[in-house]
This record gives sequence, structure tokens and C-alpha cells, in this order.
Amino acid sequence: MTSKLSQHIKSDQFRLFIDSLLNSYSQIFFSTYKPFAILILLVTCIDFYTGIIGFLAVCVTSIGGFALNLDKTTVSKGLYGFNGLLVGLGLGMYYSLSWPLILIVILAGILTLFISVSLQGVIGKYHIPVLSIPFLLGIWIFTIATKHFDALGISERGIYTMNELYVIGGHSLVKMYEFFNAAEIPSFFKVYFISLSAILFQYNVMAGIILSIGLLLFSRIAFSLSLIGFLIAYTFYQSINADITLIEYSYIGFNYILTAIAIGGFFLIPSPRSYLSVGILVPLVAILSISLSTIFMQFGLAIYSLPFNMLVLLFLYVLKFRMSYSPKLAEVYQQHNSPELNLYTYINNQERYHFLNYIPIELPFMGVWKVSQGHDGEYTHQHNYRYAWDFVIEDNHDKQFDNQGDFVEDYHCFNKPVVACGNGVIEEVVDYVDDNAIGEVNLEHNWGNTVIIKHNPYVFSKVSHLKKDSIAVKKGDAVTLGQTIAKCGNSGRSPYPHLHFQLQSYPYIGSETLHHPISNFLMHKNGKQTLVNYQVPEQGDTISNAETNELLNKAFHFVPGQNLKFKVAGHKKFAEIEWQVNITPDNRTYLACPNSKSKAYFVSTDNLFYFTHFEGKKGSLLHHFYLGAFKVQKSFYAHHQVIDQIPLHQYFPKKYRWPLDFISPFVQLAKSRYKLNYQSIDDVFSPSKIELHSETSNLFVGKTLNKNNYIIKINTQGIDEFNVLQTSNPVSLKRT
Amino acid sequence: MEKLAYEKPMINKISAGVPDKFGLGANIKPVTHIDGVSITELIEKYGSPLYVLSEKTIRETYQKALNAFKTRYQKVQFAWSYKTNYLNAVCNIYHQEGSWAEVVSGFEYQKAITNGVPGNKIIFNGPDKSREDLTLAIKNESLIHIDHQDEFYDIQSIARELNKKARVAIRVNMDTGIFPKWVRFGFNLENGEAWAILNKIMTDDGFELIGLHTHIGTYIMDANAYGVAAAKLAQLAVRLEHKYNHHIKYIDMGGGFASKNTLKGAYLPGSDTCPSFDDYAEAIASALQHSDIKYDQMPMLILETGRALIDDAGFLAGTALANKRLPDGRRSLIIDIGVNLLFTSFWYEHLIAPAQMTPPYTEDTIIYGPLCMNIDVIREAIKFPVIEKGEHVVLSRIGAYNMTQWMQFITFRPKIVMIDTNGETHVVRENENHETMNALDRVPEHLKGFEL
Repeated sequence: MTSKLSQHIKSDQFRLFIDSLLNSYSQIFFSTYKPFAILILLVTCIDFYTGIIGFLAVCVTSIGGFALNLDKTTVSKGLYGFNGLLVGLGLGMYYSLSWPLILIVILAGILTLFISVSLQGVIGKYHIPVLSIPFLLGIWIFTIATKHFDALGISERGIYTMNELYVIGGHSLVKMYEFFNAAEIPSFFKVYFISLSAILFQYNVMAGIILSIGLLLFSRIAFSLSLIGFLIAYTFYQSINADITLIEYSYIGFNYILTAIAIGGFFLIPSPRSYLSVGILVPLVAILSISLSTIFMQFGLAIYSLPFNMLVLLFLYVLKFRMSYSPKLAEVYQQHNSPELNLYTYINNQERYHFLNYIPIELPFMGVWKVSQGHDGEYTHQHNYRYAWDFVIEDNHDKQFDNQGDFVEDYHCFNKPVVACGNGVIEEVVDYVDDNAIGEVNLEHNWGNTVIIKHNPYVFSKVSHLKKDSIAVKKGDAVTLGQTIAKCGNSGRSPYPHLHFQLQSYPYIGSETLHHPISNFLMHKNGKQTLVNYQVPEQGDTISNAETNELLNKAFHFVPGQNLKFKVAGHKKFAEIEWQVNITPDNRTYLACPNSKSKAYFVSTDNLFYFTHFEGKKGSLLHHFYLGAFKVQKSFYAHHQVIDQIPLHQYFPKKYRWPLDFISPFVQLAKSRYKLNYQSIDDVFSPSKIELHSETSNLFVGKTLNKNNYIIKINTQGIDEFNVLQTSNPVSLKRT
Repeated sequence: MEKLAYEKPMINKISAGVPDKFGLGANIKPVTHIDGVSITELIEKYGSPLYVLSEKTIRETYQKALNAFKTRYQKVQFAWSYKTNYLNAVCNIYHQEGSWAEVVSGFEYQKAITNGVPGNKIIFNGPDKSREDLTLAIKNESLIHIDHQDEFYDIQSIARELNKKARVAIRVNMDTGIFPKWVRFGFNLENGEAWAILNKIMTDDGFELIGLHTHIGTYIMDANAYGVAAAKLAQLAVRLEHKYNHHIKYIDMGGGFASKNTLKGAYLPGSDTCPSFDDYAEAIASALQHSDIKYDQMPMLILETGRALIDDAGFLAGTALANKRLPDGRRSLIIDIGVNLLFTSFWYEHLIAPAQMTPPYTEDTIIYGPLCMNIDVIREAIKFPVIEKGEHVVLSRIGAYNMTQWMQFITFRPKIVMIDTNGETHVVRENENHETMNALDRVPEHLKGFEL
């Protein structure tokens, strides 16, 4: 029996249920931070019976949510529960505990759940949240209705709070409570704390202080925003000669706090502009509060969080109508339930994933060519055709031709293969234009012989001035990256042989060009080669395609279902470790370590492997692997370096990070950097051993705080060894 | 005014201005400088005769060849053919440029190792590989190109002894439509010998088949022959894939590209008739691209061309020893460069030019070397201006084979100098002298001393 119970407790479903309860508390402040949830739970229990009633309401919505088979993630995140909780707390505070009240609260919980789900269905499709509107509707319905229920007695406990506290915490608690209420704190802070506590239908400083500590633990940004929001309101009230300390105002003071957190840091990425928005919205909330209070008073209803709900929803909806994406006032698309996480992920994404806007496009030739005209060139790459390249081949004497260059055959690039710059389907072929004699141009057929490849519905590539009768593909053919499609020629507006290359959004010859970088190429300069990613080659650059290394490709090709087993040396706990390669229903691949319950999400493409996200235990071996193999380019060029930025929250030490959190929406003083060196390879064409060295470091204003070094050894079986080089405690993993 | 050189009166048909069937009359331009360095000064400083190498030409020719292939094929690797010129300085230039080493004997193998070439970047060709050579090559993971069955059995037993896989390719000979067919090296494709040995290799644990190699001949003037050869090797690779699901890593097309020298008996000069690197590259690359090998499994293309890479970079400067009128009236010029230093004169009409300004009149001349041997003829008939005793001549395009196939005969082999890319001159090989010549001689006790 006990074993059955313990089994049940360990089950995933039970864990989800507990999550849903706790998250319902922290969600009041948009958080899923467990310690914060527990603090809020404690605060609700300052009025013990109200706390119980609140908890009952949460249980009802959670159980109801699971029983109705609603989306488990939404329920467990507490997104339905927190509205129920608020209704429960409101009713619990107003009425004294009795069986009818319990019945009423259960019903109220169910109704709030229905309203939450339905509202989500109605306005969720506009991608805006329901906030606490279900609570408002629920509490209003029940306040009006319960006035007619004689069985419910008005609670008098509020008056005798001291008694309650005495029962819970004895004399000392009462003293502390009194101490805080009587403490000589500036009126601003006093009203701030009271307003904070009023979110939970309380009206005391101690609750406010506990909540503000919880808020600080949860998020520095949210905490500072709560103060900023309240300060703006406070100043606004003073400027209009109204007194915020009056109970009817301070009881709804949390509207400013919640608005500030929601707009300043939660639904938008924290930034100077989001803070500025707070500055505009908070006075509006104040005005709305006053006018709405006046109306609602007629019906004997409190407005609770109505002003906050109205303005936040209004603003978020208005933002949807912006004609273009604005990185300076960006909405949060992937909600991490923490302003810091949202911000650091956003910054990191901006730095790392700009390439995801582009498709893999390589150079349309073999060997080393030179850009004779780049973007915005001086000859023809202008206006609609500004994002194009011309390529030629030059010899050691910077000459494009042998002899006098009087004939097309003298030119090095003439008759050289032109290859597909990416996978696709041939969209258009012109193969009938004669090659010009040197110096002449064919203005009638400006583009000459041309091939257009469709890479996806929005990206097409075009190569022009090809040699007559050299095109080896026809309309509708599928081509693969690097496949020869034609020869370089001298047709169209081409006075001497060269290759014109452009990307475009439309399938026609003559369509305007599209700004799109080359995903992967080698830059040749002073006898050295550098691997360049997602950049636009410029006029005068000497470039060639990079080659993928098969061994690296194989080593970082993880197949879902595969298990990576390692023997561990130097670790205190494990002598062996096993990582599983898994895949989520939405096609995200990850490595999972059952020991540390950690997951490292990765993406592996033809020429790139990179980790996107880590969740679980920092400092675990999988976390080290996440850091050590953060990004690996699958080409081997000796001494090549891959440099990337690790999201701050994944690596930067917490003790240093906390103070930085306050200012990070405005200025980034800290960086977590990743560097990978291609150390050695034993054989070029059939390599069997490759060694990669990586270094991760945390920088504060350019100064290194700490760093880690890793060695990855690869053999024909894949990743063979992974070494964590720490002076104190070096750990090495050997594949078994 | 300086006294003019005396020229014996002679009646000559004037051919200037009117082209005959060989074109305009030969007008030999003097070659006074190599890479800006005066030949007269070089001879004064280093003696005569003197080999001169141009580092600039070596590097430029290499890059030209490499680019010809790299702009047509994805994976290209050159391997420097040691036998063409194994001066350490020359080899190192190619290695600096990224070339591997191709050797054909234990001696050359050791040379490559000593030069610092990693074992796995040495291609071991040729019919003469001793058990010791093979053992070393297997240990070093070098690429052994098997030439015959006996070698196969040698490798088999050594690999078993060492308990190590030999990394091998086979040399294939075939009909590419040209004459002569080179059939003495490797395994014949048409009679099934090559396929038979491949089957043996594939089923033997001691071997790892990495590549296929052919070398269709030397001084091949028809680039298409390479296309035929590449297509045939590709077919063999596809056949291996079908039967064993084995993908070879490289196809080695060997060498044999013609340099611009003119072969004896050729109707037109080599510089006009020989294919360029582009022609060879086009033939080979398009044959491979059009083969049945899957696109993502295209093997690396290895080239071992030697002659075409180095020939242009070598010069041989010498001095006129005497002028002589032969009984038949022909003029003959004797220079201090003989066939001992110019082995290739047996098959080339070498380019020879005076190293100083000369009068414009040329005369049918026979150029002899200094050896006391009747065969020592450098050019049998050439329209050549008058060169006085002590004046200098230069032979161009002699970089290939002459510095490896040279003979020490009746005199010492001279110095070899290299002009670097900055125009500085370096001695890259000292001349022989009595000491070096006698160093290897051993005289038995009873033969020491005599009285005359």
C-alpha cells in the first residue's frame, strides 16, 4: 500500500499536479519560481482560513483542469489556477469559514476555470494573454450573488488578525507584525508594501515585505520594475494633488506594479523602450483606476485589477499592428517566465541566430575566385540589382587572362564549371544567347544565358552570362548543392567573361535582388584561409567554398534513440555515464542525462552543430558538454576558430549576475564567450583522429572572471573522449 | 671602338622575310637574365656549367596547375613526383605549396621522410619495393600503390606479421586509345587482371583499399586520353561499390602531362602543340563528373605530374669551348654542357640561346657537348648565331629529370643554384670534387702503390 502510494507520488502525473498548485501561486507575478510560490502561499496563510480557502480553489481548478483533459502544460504552469486562487482568496477574505462557503468556493473555482479556458480560446488567437480577467468576472459574479446568500457570514477575522497570528506563530509573530506595521518607514515604501500585499487581499506591511523579497529572489528586473511603476504612480498622484495613501487608492496600488512588470519585462523584452512604455502606461492606469472606481462604486463592486488588465491588453494588442518587427521594443515569443531569462535568451538569439533568417547558400563555383563587383557596385549592381556579385578568376599577377586577353578563351574563368549554390529545383533556363567577343555587350539580352534555381518559395538564386550551350540542366530538374549546372561564359551584358550571381525573392529573370549572405566560405588573404559564416563577400575578396569534414559530420550526427556511454574518470559520483539522444514531438533534438536530470537541446545541420538550450543541473557533465561543444562547424581547417556567445543565464556565475540583472535591460557589461579551436587532424582525406579544443569564459567589462577548457577527441566511431580541464578537478569521459 | 669578332667568310642562303614551310626563319632571342639575375654574373660567381632553378616559376606553375583542377573539381591533391627532381630545396617548395610526396624507391621514400613529409602523405609507387621498404610504409600508413602480384603477396605477409592493415591502391593499366600502351606497370584492366586483384584485396583483412591509380604514359599530347582513363577508373570504382559497398577515397591519375619542350621529330614546337593544364583538367574533371559515382561520394583526385610542373623552372647555363667547321661545311659549336648533364637531350630538341647579345645572322649549326664521345650531341641542327669561345649559352626548360638522371662522367657534376622569389641566389647543391668522388672509392691493399 505504502509502496503504491510512494510510486504514485513519484509519478509524472503527481509531479505535474504539484507543479500546477505551486505555479498557480507564483503566476500571480508571472513567475514559475518555486521558492517564490511558497512565499506567496505563506503570505496567504497570514490569514489562515483565507489561505486554506485559496488553496482549496487552486486544487479545484487544477483537478478540474486535469479531469477535463485540458492541455497539461497550461494547467501545470498554473495559467488557469491563479485566477481560481484569486477568486478563492477574495471570497475567503470576505466570508467566514463555513460549509456553504466551501461549496461556493468550489463552484467559483469551477466557473473561473470555465471562464479562463473560454477566454483563452477567444482572445488567445490574437496571441494576447487573458491576464486576470477570469478572476474579475468570477469575483464580481460571486460578490453580487453571495450578497443574497444568508448562510454566508461576513468574516470578522480581518478585524482580529492579531488573534489569528497568535494562534499560528505565537507572541513573536504578533510582535513582528506589529513592528512592521508601526515601523517608521517612508510613506512611499509603506504604501508600496501595502499595495503589494493587497494583491493577495491583505493590507499589511509585513506581507508586502515578504512578497517583495520573493519578487527580488525571482527577478531583479521585475523587482526594480515594481518599484519604478509604483514610483511613477506615486509621483503622478502627487502632481495631481491626489493622495495615494488613501485606502481606496492604495488598495488597488498593485495595478501599477503589475502593469510595470507585465509591460516592462514580461510580455516585452526588457529594454529602454519597454521601461519608457511603463512610464506612459502607469499614469493611464492611474486615470483609469479613478474613473472606473467611480462607475463601479454605483454597483457596489471593487475594480480590483481591472485597470491593469485593460491597459496591458490594449497595449499588447496595439503592438500587434506594427507594420514591421522592431528589435528595440520586441515582444516575447518564447516565454521563459522570467524577465532575465527572456532578456538573456533574446540577446543571445540576436547574436547567435541571425543566420536562421537565411537558408544555406554557398558559392556557385569550384576553386578560388575573386569578387570583381560586390553589393552596391560601381558598375551595374545598383538600385534594384544592388545585392549581386560578379566573380572572376585571377592569377598570381592579378590578371584575369593569359596572353593579351583578346579572346574569351584567354580568360581564366571562361568555361569553368558553375555549380548549384544550394539544393533546389531549376526554375528557369536561357541557353541561346551567343557569347560576346571581348569588349562587346549584348544589351538586348542583358542577362545572357541564365539559370534560376528555386531553393524555397521565397528564395531563388540566379547565375548569368553563362556560356552558350553549356547548361547541363533543364527546367524542373532537381539539383543538389555543388552539382555542375553550366559553364562560365560571356553572354549578355558582359564585356569580358565573368559570373554574375544573385539571390532574389521572385522566380523571374530580371527580378530585383535579395540581400542574403553566403552561409559558409573560405576567405583567402595573404596566403591564409579563414572560414567565414553568413557574411556578404565584398569587392576584392578572394574566396572559395569550404569542405565539410566527414569525420566531424559523423561525430556530431546524433540519431534519436542512440545512447552515448562514457567511462568517467576523476568524478566523485560516477564511474559511468550514459546520455540518451531524444526528440520532442515538435522535432527538437536533445541529449538527456538521467543522472542529473538535465537536457541539452541541439541542432545538427549539414555543416553546423550547435546547442540551443540547456535545462537542468549547472555543473553537471552534460552541462560541461553543452559548454564544451556549444557550436562546432563541421569543416576542418587547422587553427580555425569558432567564436560564439553563451546565454548569460546558462553559464555566468549567479553571484556576479544578480547585481548586473538590474541594469542589463540598458547595458550589457557581462559576456559568456565560447571559443573552439581546430587543433589537429591526422590525415586529410581519410582522417581517423581529430582533436578540438574549446574554451568558455565569463567576461565582465572585458575582464575574465573565470573560464573552462575542454578537449574533444574524435575517432572513426564518433566522439571518443571529452575532457573537462579544471585545475582542481579534471574529469575525463571515455566512450565505451 | 672594340675590334669586331672575326668571322670566316661563308656563302649562305638568305631566308629572312620569306617564310618557308617551317615558318619564318629562326630568330633566336638571347636569354641574358633569369628572374632578373644576369647569367654571366652567375657563371662568374658559381662556375660553368651551372644549373639554375627559379623558385618563382616553380610556385607559379604549381598554382596554375592547381587552380586549373580546383576550379573544376571539388577535392584535388597534388603529390610531388620525387624522381622528376628530388633536390631537397625543390621538394620543399612543393610541400610548402601543399603537395604530398610520390616516391618510387626506398631511397626516395627515405628522402621524403627526411624532408618531413608525414608517412600518410607519401604515395609509394613503382615495381621495386623491398620487404623492408614495404614494412616501413605499412608502419607509417603510407599509400602503397601495388604494381604486381608478387608485391601483393609481400604486403599480405608483412601485414599479417605486423598485424596492421596496409593502406593500398592498385595501379591499373589500360587502353586509352593512344600509342604506345603502357602495360608493363600495374594490372591490366581489359583482361580482368585488375578486377581479380581488387577482389583479392577486398577479401583480405590485411588490406584497406583506399584508391585507384593509373599512369597512362609519359609526355601524353592528347588530353582526351586522360578523360578515357578517368572514366574507366570511375567505372571500376562504381563496380567496387556495387559488389562490396566500398567507396574508394581517391583516384590517382598519375602524371605524364607534356611540358612545352619539343620532341625530336616533332613537326611543330611543343609550346604550340602540347595541351595546357586546363585541357588536362577539363578532360579529367568532366569525365569524373559525368561518371556514375554518386555525387556525394566523389573521390579525391590526386595528380602526380612532375615534368609539366618543373620543366620550365630549370635552366642550364654553360660556356662555349670552341667553334669548328666540319668537313661538310657545317659549323659546329662545342659547349661545356654534355649529355651527361642533359639526359633529356636524347629526346628533346632543347631550347638553347646565347646568354649575351649576338649578331643577327644565324647559321646552321651542330652543337656538341664536351665529352669525348661521339653521341654527345646537344642539337643536331639549329640556326644559331655566332658565339665566341668563352661566351655563354643557356638551355631552358630542363628542370625535369636532368638533376636526377645526370651522370658523373669524366668530370664533376656542377653546382645547382636557385633564385628565390626576391631575386636572391642560393646554392641548393654543391659541385662534386676530388674529395667527394674519392670518398666512396676503396682500393684493396695490394693495389695501393705502384711504380712506373
